[in-house]
Amino acid sequence: MSMRRVAVVGAGMTRFVRRAMETPKELAWHASRMALDSCGLTLNDVGGVCIGSAPDAFDGVHMKGEYLSDGSGAWGKPVMRSYVGGGTGVFLGPHGWYHVASGLFDVVLVVAEEKMSSFYPHAQAAFLTIFDHTTERPLEPNLLWIFALEMNRYMQTYGISKRDIAQVAVKNKRNAADHPCAMLGEANITVEDVLNSEVLAWPVQRLDVSPVSDGAVAIVMAAEGVAERITDRPVWVQGVGWNLDTAYWTNRDLAYPEYVERAARMAYEMAGVREPRKEIHVVEPYDPFDYKELHHLEGLLLADRGKAPELTAQGVTARNGAMPVCPSGGLLGVGNPITAAGLMKVAELFWQLRGEAGARQVPGTPERGLAQAWGDLMQVGTVTILGTQRPS
Amino acid sequence: MPLDPTLHADDLRAWYGSMPVTSRYTVGPAGERFFRAMKDAARILGTRCGRCNLTYVPGRLFCERCFDELTDWTEVGPSGTIEAVTVVHLDLDGALLEPPVLMALVRLDGADTVLYHRLSGVDVADAKIGLRVEAAFRRLEDRTGSILDISHFRPAG
Repeated sequence: MSMRRVAVVGAGMTRFVRRAMETPKELAWHASRMALDSCGLTLNDVGGVCIGSAPDAFDGVHMKGEYLSDGSGAWGKPVMRSYVGGGTGVFLGPHGWYHVASGLFDVVLVVAEEKMSSFYPHAQAAFLTIFDHTTERPLEPNLLWIFALEMNRYMQTYGISKRDIAQVAVKNKRNAADHPCAMLGEANITVEDVLNSEVLAWPVQRLDVSPVSDGAVAIVMAAEGVAERITDRPVWVQGVGWNLDTAYWTNRDLAYPEYVERAARMAYEMAGVREPRKEIHVVEPYDPFDYKELHHLEGLLLADRGKAPELTAQGVTARNGAMPVCPSGGLLGVGNPITAAGLMKVAELFWQLRGEAGARQVPGTPERGLAQAWGDLMQVGTVTILGTQRPS
Repeated sequence: MPLDPTLHADDLRAWYGSMPVTSRYTVGPAGERFFRAMKDAARILGTRCGRCNLTYVPGRLFCERCFDELTDWTEVGPSGTIEAVTVVHLDLDGALLEPPVLMALVRLDGADTVLYHRLSGVDVADAKIGLRVEAAFRRLEDRTGSILDISHFRPAG
């Protein structure tokens, strides 16, 4: 490909919290400022701005990209907002990569923000109007219900138990106990806690789900030749991929996320990854529900179909395991301000690959990581692969 | 034929729906200070960016141009100058407004940004760019910490 190589050179994030006093643009500013400070840049160094944000309804501002622009450093600059539902945070990988790889910009600031607490009384109500107004809305579905259908389908197809799945929530919430920005870190949580939590829509229980959250994350991306002057440890974008399944969510394979596999294959091909289970050293798959981490590991070809629970039980996906999965604590532990949570996963790879993840640092010297998110009406897969080696 | 217009919506299987949204907004740390000063003391506060030589009103937490945190609070107004004005004759539903409503952009003295607000107590013919105006505050007991604590702007003096 005749595009320029692109690196991540800085990252910053706010704490993820239940009800932030700060306005959405103030949250964006905190994260953006931190990201710039982390690599010693100012707004003068930034050529363009990439903003990602999920439904306008969350923050209660129709035209959220424009609303967030000043807090994202976009005054007087070319700015573009992308939105593919929950997949947006990781879609910012390809979004920012395009801006720089194309040659249009040497340095871009990439910002994700969500303030879900604005939606009153609960952010779930924002999702009532994402469904088809003719065939579905009269039945008043919400996301928890449709994911309960998917989780049950996944469990029955492969004979997976609730206990198998609860291990993921335990792992991620324990991992999050080491994250300074986390809202649900629980060092001593057990599988029994998850299995005894309130039933929301069977088989989904309270601790199977990530929380409603407010927060922002930003990263700085730079072109080859520029990145190396900003930092001696640029983390390179090695591959990006995204893919959309049918708009009829009811007609999808609920046991296996085909769209994630297609997005992953696109990214693996670009990154030159032939054996992902050997070549991906740290994974941040999207885990808004505990079963989704398993589902997504399978779609990413990092586990056989129906076998991801075994990897979890064997400790393979633990932070000190052979293939650490969600060492950040994920959405289940750190929190889930939708788009910010996705970009948090990309930022986590940046910190892990530079050895800067502190108490969360995975052992060894990981050279390549993968972040993945999922969204729209459970039909979009987005993938970003980062690595310490500059792509050839 | 596809896309033939129908003038009889009631003959179709059509219905009314809504996209209900209720939001609870916060004003943020800078907004807390701005609106508290307006509510408690009928004072209008801005924040100053020394680097960019700009005073933002309402006071903001950060400068959008240089990204500095803004901590230098300063009082502006309550008088200012009309920068733009319009005479609104129809409301959002198309009903006639009688009398018409004046909406204006006001640059308060000491500010580099403008406020969008109502203009009252002036003949339409006199509502022109450059007119000197002042904020008319609601009474203390009626103020809630809202931009409507200024009920409108009126000619100064």
